[in-house]
Amino acid sequence: MKKLKSICSIAALVTILLMAVSCEKKLDGLKLATYPTTADVFIDGFSTGLYYAAYGTSKVTAFNVDYSVKYSGTCSMKFEVPDAGDPNGSYAGGVFGANPARDLSGYNVLTFWAKASQPATIVLVGFGNDMGTSKYQVSLANLQVNSNWVEYYIPIPDPSLLTQENGMFYYAAAPQNGRGYTFWIDELKFEKLGTIAHANFGIFNGHDSIVDNVETGEEFQISDFYATFNLPTGVDQKSNLSASYFTFTSSNPSVATVNDLGLVRVADTGSAVITAKVAGTGAKGSLTISVTGLKIAPTQPAPVPTIAGNKVISLFSNAYTNVKVDSWNTHWQFSTAENQNIQINGDDVIRYKKLNFVGIEFSSQPVDASAMATFHIDLWTPDTTANKTFKVKLIDFGPDGVYGGGDDSNSEISIGSPPLSTQNWISLNIPLSSFSGLSSKSHLAQLVLSGDLPDVYIDNVYFFNDGSTSPEPTTAAPVPTFNAANVLSVFSDSYTNVAGTNLNPNWGQTTVFSQVPIAGNNTLKYKGLNYQGIQLGSSQNVSAMSFLHLDYWSASSFSLNVFLISTGPVEKSYVLPVPTSGWAGVDIPLSSFSPVNLADVIQFKFVGNGDVYIDNIFFHK
Amino acid sequence: MEKNSKIFVSAAICSLLFITLFGCKKESGQKIEQRNWQLVWSDEFNGSAGMSPDSTKWKFDIGNGGWGNEELETYTKDTSNASTDGNGNLAITAKANWVTDHWENITSARIKTIGLFEQSYGRFEARIKTPWGPGMWPAFWLLGSNVNSVAWPQCGEIDIMELRGQKPNIINGTVHGPGYSGGAGITKSFAFENTRFDVDFHLFAVEWGKDYIDFFVDNTLYEEITPGNVTGNWVFDHPFYIILNVAVGGNYVGYPTSQTTFPQKMLVDYVKVYKQAD
Repeated sequence: MKKLKSICSIAALVTILLMAVSCEKKLDGLKLATYPTTADVFIDGFSTGLYYAAYGTSKVTAFNVDYSVKYSGTCSMKFEVPDAGDPNGSYAGGVFGANPARDLSGYNVLTFWAKASQPATIVLVGFGNDMGTSKYQVSLANLQVNSNWVEYYIPIPDPSLLTQENGMFYYAAAPQNGRGYTFWIDELKFEKLGTIAHANFGIFNGHDSIVDNVETGEEFQISDFYATFNLPTGVDQKSNLSASYFTFTSSNPSVATVNDLGLVRVADTGSAVITAKVAGTGAKGSLTISVTGLKIAPTQPAPVPTIAGNKVISLFSNAYTNVKVDSWNTHWQFSTAENQNIQINGDDVIRYKKLNFVGIEFSSQPVDASAMATFHIDLWTPDTTANKTFKVKLIDFGPDGVYGGGDDSNSEISIGSPPLSTQNWISLNIPLSSFSGLSSKSHLAQLVLSGDLPDVYIDNVYFFNDGSTSPEPTTAAPVPTFNAANVLSVFSDSYTNVAGTNLNPNWGQTTVFSQVPIAGNNTLKYKGLNYQGIQLGSSQNVSAMSFLHLDYWSASSFSLNVFLISTGPVEKSYVLPVPTSGWAGVDIPLSSFSPVNLADVIQFKFVGNGDVYIDNIFFHK
Repeated sequence: MEKNSKIFVSAAICSLLFITLFGCKKESGQKIEQRNWQLVWSDEFNGSAGMSPDSTKWKFDIGNGGWGNEELETYTKDTSNASTDGNGNLAITAKANWVTDHWENITSARIKTIGLFEQSYGRFEARIKTPWGPGMWPAFWLLGSNVNSVAWPQCGEIDIMELRGQKPNIINGTVHGPGYSGGAGITKSFAFENTRFDVDFHLFAVEWGKDYIDFFVDNTLYEEITPGNVTGNWVFDHPFYIILNVAVGGNYVGYPTSQTTFPQKMLVDYVKVYKQAD
């Protein structure tokens, strides 16, 4: 076989000589910028112009020429992969380059024989890495080798591009289960083989990606470029390619353009499909984008904070020196949130898109907010806010200062509409006492924003204590004017109340309950409300009544619901808008509480947050 | 055997190179007498896309059970397994579904001329582009028409082309008979050094006379089998019929793997049969 081959080589040489003699004309004096077409990389030693450069972080002595183990000829390339933790480098890797560059356009595959001291998986082998731009890279990931010599093939996706290639071969190999091994490569050369067939190419690993609700100005990077070729062994082999082998096309360049490296830039409203080809062959996979237009963003910055800096611990604000925040988007599992840092008139604002929830982490330097009274955040959303909520959760890592350990606590405040508002900055000042589930505030480490507003802009996220005590009403609730004959009262100084009523039944709530005189008027105070019940002294038939009246006051609540309850229990809630501006009085039609049995009303329940004052709870006609 | 054949091919290519070099135009393969062939039967497969093969020329083998070789496929007469492609070819398509870690629902087709066209002696040829991949076993072959009375291998079998999908550049030509059947068949391989049978059409033929069977790829003779070559009785003296099929898996080819690609097609441009003119 070998002998026949050399006979063939001689024959080929003769042919070349004959051709040279019969050459028609020489372009004397004209020197074309051509590069050597040398095919051999390493047969029995370094081919002309070949050099080796180990990766700086690898064990740089891993590669040697081996004169005892070889597939054929006199020597082979030996790679000694170190053990994990080798002080001289814990992996083997490097680049075999050619100087001058070579013209490989006449070949279609890099071939070599390889074996290893044990069955092993070489992390990566390929060509086209020139330790510079590496424009035309091809690599095989996880190459399986064993103790037998096996021939391997790395097909060239489009040889016509490789007229000036420096990167002849490169590799990276890691220990197997922590232990090193040795592999050998021999007869490394470029060839033109008719037995490589059935090229297929793809982007995005062959998937058709669809992205909706894209905004003008967004960018997308096409990725996961591959080729499959059927090898002389009949099997399909997948290789990873660099973008430069592909030509990209946008179906609608006025909507989206795509550059040579597969970077898609969104220019206008509409839809566009990005596809790719290699050497005229269509690639599997595409990117379809539907562009909704420019994003709706605040035109004015959030209100500038006015509290003195020495009374503030700020996470994010141009007005203060901020503490270290490790991440404004931890991308926790199931979080779809994308964050962007934008500027509005020079003011830094964080935008969260596709927000379901986002984790914000400052655990490397937990915040001691034990001396703080209030959490502040400014919020702007383009989304409709009716019946929507925005939630703020604080997480404290406890005395051990780290996640877990049994001493963590967290508490979440849900904010409704109002105060949520569409396309307006709102400033939320949430008393830390409202975070009733926090057993400590001295090791705050995480903040989680969630809710059902998918698009929010936030600014001025800080804790503060400006010395003001938590506000309370300075005037009594208005004195009701209904005729007592038409009233059935639960809690009011103006009427006779249902006898035997328990205003603070123990239903497991954390609310701090008290009755306080406000300007001489007895008032219910729910401090740090989570929920609070009222157990009537006896079942009441209110079916002759038309309304439930309440007066309530809260500067710090962002969520408040009242429930009417009949035996069963059958209960129904009603939303009370918070926070209030002074005392708010409501007369709720009893029909709103359907299906509660109005002939058998036994309890009330309040659910929400913040500090809430309530007075004049009664039914009337 | 295989190694010998490689050397044979290499030698052939080397000699071709020399011939080219010295400007010799004449084919210097084994010399055979000029034969005068007259076309007696053909199918050009010129039907429109999705048409079942011409029922006046072809019957179907239907079913599974391995066909004596532990093959995996179920043969059907569905046009998704056998139909003209509208481009002048018959497509025999092997299909399968990958389930967790193996191929299931493997179907293919096997068509035959038994009872419709049978002939002893002559030239049988087909222009074919093969499927590829581990476990793929396309074939163009002849079987003695008396198979149902004398049984195999007494009836005789002439395999004009068989290919293992994991060696897409090699085909085999083989005869089976009493005393030289199965793995003991009289066979020779033909290999391309630098192309494959699945990237373009190639012409596979036998020329069969009373005391010879000559095997050709693209009109290159690569094997001649005579009564002196076979290790048993020469049974190639009665009518045979034609079979085209794509088998999947089995003890000749091995089994499809995760690296096999389905569906796979064997495209047949035409089948032609000639008789030697007097």
